[in-house]
Amino acid sequence: MTEDIAPAAAAGYFDLDYYRRAHAMVRRWRTLTLIPDALTPSPEDRAACERLLNAEARLIDSGQLEQWLALYTHDCAYWLPTDVEGADPAKVVSWEFNDRRRLEERVERLATGKAFSQMPVTRTTHLYTNFEMMSTAPDEMEVLCNFLIQTNLAGRASARAGWNGFLLRRTQAGWRIVLKRVGLFDADLPQDNNSFTL
Amino acid sequence: MSLSILGGAKTGASVREDGAYDRYFRPGFVHRDLYVSRDIFDQEMRHLFGSTWVYVGHESEIPAPNDFVTRTIGRRPVILARDREGAVQVVINRCTHRGAVVCRQARGNADRFTCGYHAWTFANDGRCVGVPLPHAYGAGFKLADQNLRKAAKVESYRGFVFAAISDHVPPLIEHLAGARAYLDQWLDRGDRLPVVVRNGDMQFKTHANWKTVYDNAGDGYHPPFSHISMLRVFARRYGDVDMQYYSANFDESPLLSADLGNGHTLLDQRPAMHAQSAWERQHVMPGREILWDQLNAAHGPERALDMLDASTGWGLNLNIFPNLLIIGNQIQIVEPLAHDLTVVHWFSTTLEGAPDEVNAIRMRMQEDFPSFGEVDDTAQFEACQAGLDGVPEMEWVDVRRHLESGVGRVGEDGVWQEPISSDQHMRAYYGAWRRIMNASAARAALS
Repeated sequence: MTEDIAPAAAAGYFDLDYYRRAHAMVRRWRTLTLIPDALTPSPEDRAACERLLNAEARLIDSGQLEQWLALYTHDCAYWLPTDVEGADPAKVVSWEFNDRRRLEERVERLATGKAFSQMPVTRTTHLYTNFEMMSTAPDEMEVLCNFLIQTNLAGRASARAGWNGFLLRRTQAGWRIVLKRVGLFDADLPQDNNSFTL
Repeated sequence: MSLSILGGAKTGASVREDGAYDRYFRPGFVHRDLYVSRDIFDQEMRHLFGSTWVYVGHESEIPAPNDFVTRTIGRRPVILARDREGAVQVVINRCTHRGAVVCRQARGNADRFTCGYHAWTFANDGRCVGVPLPHAYGAGFKLADQNLRKAAKVESYRGFVFAAISDHVPPLIEHLAGARAYLDQWLDRGDRLPVVVRNGDMQFKTHANWKTVYDNAGDGYHPPFSHISMLRVFARRYGDVDMQYYSANFDESPLLSADLGNGHTLLDQRPAMHAQSAWERQHVMPGREILWDQLNAAHGPERALDMLDASTGWGLNLNIFPNLLIIGNQIQIVEPLAHDLTVVHWFSTTLEGAPDEVNAIRMRMQEDFPSFGEVDDTAQFEACQAGLDGVPEMEWVDVRRHLESGVGRVGEDGVWQEPISSDQHMRAYYGAWRRIMNASAARAALS
């Protein structure tokens, strides 16, 4: 059974222990071979989690970011590392490592109508593939998937690619996202405007 | 006031009035060709970046013998290495045989580099140590004649390594002029704990000329407008926090712009930001409460606040012409790739020996402005490039702010100061640009 990635506290839950657990989880993901049978989720849980993540992608692509944020827990994180080696986020800067508050601020900024990096907005189409799921605790699911995001910003088309690591939690309202780690396959190289939601 | 058709360059040598590049300047204006001309870009890469000190990296990036990182000087690929004796080397990363880039890795540890094409091999101080089948080059062939070219001069100022392609540069200290004292202040902030530059970096690509980035680095006029989305969110949530001091009358505030000589400038927001505790005034960062509590418990509130203040943004933008920008706790390198393509490297830093809690929240603080502010700046750079490039009938770019307002003055430290919204940053660095480019054109005409 894995430790819950974040304590229940709503405000300011990123401490060294949090980083240690997040770092360890990424290390486990990066060294994963075949998923043991014992961790294979039930077909029902797998289908529910896949529905959640497909909705997550669809809400980004349709610009419904408040509804998108509602799929995240109160102790969530949205994380874009700058490295591709699984570095320790307490020691290495990320493009973004947002807790719930900063994620809300991010959504609010984009909604001001004055966020010039998103005027016009970047149009996106998210493709999630190669789903692999691990039922690491009765009410938790770890999901790895590849992503391809086709974007177009004012006529300039470009793609983003990589793999996502999700930690999901079963709540009374259904499965919700505790962590979304967006592993751009070229995170350590020059990046175009990534101020849309990946 | 020194003689300058641009006007307003208060320090440094006066500008020649008869140079090849004078036609790109008139009082309070610079010409669009400086941003859109491929030819001027090529000349800049050769002559500007080839004739002055260029920042290549920080010594803490290569702590051990044989560590290296690859960088550029203009468009010249170079290797910044620590050799086996511990000396810092800057060698031109171009094989002396057919011209291939020899080392193709961003960083690593190697005492020698072997070109992938024909296996010519060089030590990390540039010495050629091996060429396959050398007999075919004849009896007079010597490895010592095949060494990699090196930067003509390499000097380090408290860990900041600069290199010059040309011999004709003054000592680094002299070049840094008034910027040196501010580098000292930046380095001495955190109880004089050593600044470490090994904590990852962000590479922002911008489809714009490198000087749009440089222009903005000393522009204290744009923040309340370009960054209004960020400022609104933080004001609504947290009230009168950092950067809210860009209110309607910010030009009458103690915030200032300063000309440090040789094209170097700074924007100083410290009078507002660090007037009391910058950490307390700062908007909320991820982990603020829990890490602050832990630091208070371990070190006591006073000591904890000192340490957090020393890792909160500096409140100063120090711009060292032509490619080094220090903003907050980050070191930026502006890397020109083409006349309309630039990469801005944001190197993150930590303090060696500071508590892990402090360095951890320092990481989150260094993600704040890039993700909430730099993205909007980049949009402005690209919008400027599109407008400048698209409209040849409109030739001039306006850099007149505070050129004739007469409110500039010499500050207590002897540095020329103007209100924060002044365009003197652009006037000052373009003064250096013009001096260097005119001199190189004059040399070319003589040769």
